[in-house]
Amino acid sequence: MSTQVHANLTASQVEQISEDLGEPEWLLETRKDALGALDDLEMPDVIRTPGRKWTNLDALDYETLVDPLDYAQEKDRIDAEGVDVLSWSEALDQHGDRIEEHFGSVVDPQRDYLTALSTALFSAGTVVYVPEGVDAEDVKIRTTMNSRSLFNYTLVIAEDSASVTILERQTTGEDSEARSASDASGGTASEGARYYSGVVEAVAGENAYVQYGTLQNLSEESYNYQVKRAHADTYATVDWIEGNIGSRLTKSNVETRLLGDSSESKIVGAFFGHNDQHFDIASRVWHEAEHTVADLVTRGVLDDESRSVYEGVQDVGREAWDTSSYQRENTLMLSDESEADASPKLIINNHDTEASHSATVGQVDDEDMFYMTSRGVDPERAKNMLVEGFFVPVLEEVAVDELREDLDALIVERLTA
Amino acid sequence: MSSDQDHLKETDTEARFEFKKEEKSAFQTEKGLTEETIRVISEDKDEPEWMLERRLRALEQFRQMPMPEGWPGAPDLSEVDIEQIVPYIRPDIETRGGAESWEDLPEEIKDTFDKLGIPEAEKNALSGVGAQYESEIVYQNMQERWEEKGVIFCDMDKAVQEHEDLVREHFMTKCVPPSDNKFAALHGAVWSGGSFVYIPEDTTVEMPVQAYFRMNSEGMGQFEHTLIIAEENSEVHYIEGCSAPKYSAFNLHSGGVEVFVGENAHVQYSTVQNWSKNTYNLNTKRAICEADGTMEWVSGSMGSKATMLYPSTVLKGPGATDNHITIAFAGEGQDIDTGAKVYHNAPDTKSTIESKSISKDGGRTNYRGLVHIADGAENSSTSVECDALMFDNESTSDTMPYMEIQENKVDVAHEATVGKIGDEDVFYLQSRGLDDDDAKQMIVAGFIEPITEELPIEYAVELNRLIELEMEGSLG
Repeated sequence: MSTQVHANLTASQVEQISEDLGEPEWLLETRKDALGALDDLEMPDVIRTPGRKWTNLDALDYETLVDPLDYAQEKDRIDAEGVDVLSWSEALDQHGDRIEEHFGSVVDPQRDYLTALSTALFSAGTVVYVPEGVDAEDVKIRTTMNSRSLFNYTLVIAEDSASVTILERQTTGEDSEARSASDASGGTASEGARYYSGVVEAVAGENAYVQYGTLQNLSEESYNYQVKRAHADTYATVDWIEGNIGSRLTKSNVETRLLGDSSESKIVGAFFGHNDQHFDIASRVWHEAEHTVADLVTRGVLDDESRSVYEGVQDVGREAWDTSSYQRENTLMLSDESEADASPKLIINNHDTEASHSATVGQVDDEDMFYMTSRGVDPERAKNMLVEGFFVPVLEEVAVDELREDLDALIVERLTA
Repeated sequence: MSSDQDHLKETDTEARFEFKKEEKSAFQTEKGLTEETIRVISEDKDEPEWMLERRLRALEQFRQMPMPEGWPGAPDLSEVDIEQIVPYIRPDIETRGGAESWEDLPEEIKDTFDKLGIPEAEKNALSGVGAQYESEIVYQNMQERWEEKGVIFCDMDKAVQEHEDLVREHFMTKCVPPSDNKFAALHGAVWSGGSFVYIPEDTTVEMPVQAYFRMNSEGMGQFEHTLIIAEENSEVHYIEGCSAPKYSAFNLHSGGVEVFVGENAHVQYSTVQNWSKNTYNLNTKRAICEADGTMEWVSGSMGSKATMLYPSTVLKGPGATDNHITIAFAGEGQDIDTGAKVYHNAPDTKSTIESKSISKDGGRTNYRGLVHIADGAENSSTSVECDALMFDNESTSDTMPYMEIQENKVDVAHEATVGKIGDEDVFYLQSRGLDDDDAKQMIVAGFIEPITEELPIEYAVELNRLIELEMEGSLG
């Protein structure tokens, strides 16, 4: 299927994107290398069990979805004092050397087919630079996708003892140009289908703190591929919040490598699927130094024919003495047509470890329902309250008020729709 | 059948194998497993035509199927050279029954037997030195006691001859078809020996049915097949007999186990395997459980270089239950990749999986499990608990459960923990006068107690001793 996409893409398109962004030669070369590697790269790994593949990424129809030169979008960037929140062209001007140093150092540009595609074609994105010792609250990035395909690339550099919380929102808006293109080509793609691809690289220096929260609420005809990955230095903390509400198919990877002694990471996820939505969500953490701590918490609700695929990996390296690593995943199924697949993995190479994981799948508790209805709450409302309550342990982990409130609002909206 | 007759029969078979061996040397240069080899095995066993056909079909499937590749963290099987499979079978035929004499056994095996406190005669039998008839005595007693109730317990080769209809219906048809995986296909082509157990309706066999010495008494025990059919309302506990260190000249074991649990029947299948540490143990074990039936797998995996074994149960009828209790111990150079698979295909089905593992001296254990709850399997519940104990920094312990839940009226819970042996526990025991080794042994014994208490006392004792030996070997 890679040939199918490739036919659409040319080096000159990549050159044009690069020129539009005013890029230096090294970045253009990185893009071209990624483009050239597409032929040899595989789709991202998906879990297979006997006779089944948990997510079918081949369902993506690039031929009609990817239009490299159309990247209509709205972007709001709200910065905080002392921090640079910049578009790529601005950032390349102001922090060219820093970007060259870190770009691709956390997320391998050729990690798989879809990541390489993102590297080659990204036209939107943001660079967040937090200088040493700066404490920056509430950086906000809002992306509204107005094209048929959009490749977003975010680089976060938090220097030693810097601190930042970032809230990213992803939504879809008008699809004017792409729709007319699709009409011209005979409209073979399903009406309104779009492709969003986001890469986030975060570098947390010594004693730095980064919280990166994402609220994904793309249209339900969207295909969504995301890689978010951080390197945490000594005493650094990287927390990820991952809220998935929109899209038709999401393949998301949220990862932290704990490279410095006493570094920590928390990965908190929430999803709510309905209709035929499919969320494939992976949380991974690598303990590679001493005294590191990780906590992976995901809660999801499935309704109608939606489906969730969850993979959580806690990988404790040979040298990771005194590790603490925890993982919990809970799924609530509201419908008999939905499916919840889960694989929480522990890979432990150092015995000086306290690690545990747990996963549960179940329905709304009959006794809870009985209790509430016997107190006069009507069944529909009782169910909604229980579902909302189910997300509370995850919502409590969200430090940014706005993200928590928005996520909660979207959950309520979905429940009452 | 007296033991003397038995022995004569064995000798006779040996002579025939010798003859075949000469004949086979004509195609020694051929690579891989050939049709000719299969025909020789089948002919030697005087098998009916349909069995030969099944073998040949399995061989064809074996050729077409891929190795288990692309599994995250799977054991390294690169040494298992499929092209060398034939040489693996041949030394088996040549050295059937193991070493010529007690003196020829490797020191470590002899030492182990001594430490286990096994008497000389029993050692001989366990190590495969001569005297295979020991096992037949076990069968004999069993048959006398249960024969009149219609219970059948005999070796698989005999079952093909004497219970052809039952075998033909159940042998690698519904439970473990050769197409299941590459090694099931290999097994289907070259299988030999094993046990056949048939329990008629409404019959309870109170004592465990044991094929304790059985493995060594058959020439090609490395590909043994076990078929258990428990009819409605019957009950049996079968214990597989590789509970002693198995001395073997070659290093691939690919057995097949098929269990049919009838309505409201109850089957427990217990194994304590301790293969030699050059053995690749690639088994396929599966049970199909009808309404209200109960299947229980109890297994201790001690030996082998690499094990890939996931006993599985298909809960086919409403109200069926499946329980797994497994313990894995991986020492130096060992990769024990084991777990459980359960398919909940009917409403009101239940399963529990309890897995314990210990890794030390660079060994690797992995729990790899699959729980599948099909759409329509309402009110099903499953609980998976994995605990891993690690001794040192060289060792690895992984947990890779897979859960596929297609039904919402379910209760699914998985939990796993990993930890090192508690310094405080060791300190406490030491302060009570135990030395370091004894303290650790005691902690391990406590850790695996949920498994040992499920086993008959002699197996529990033996499992504990084997673990003590493993610990001693590295600590001393």
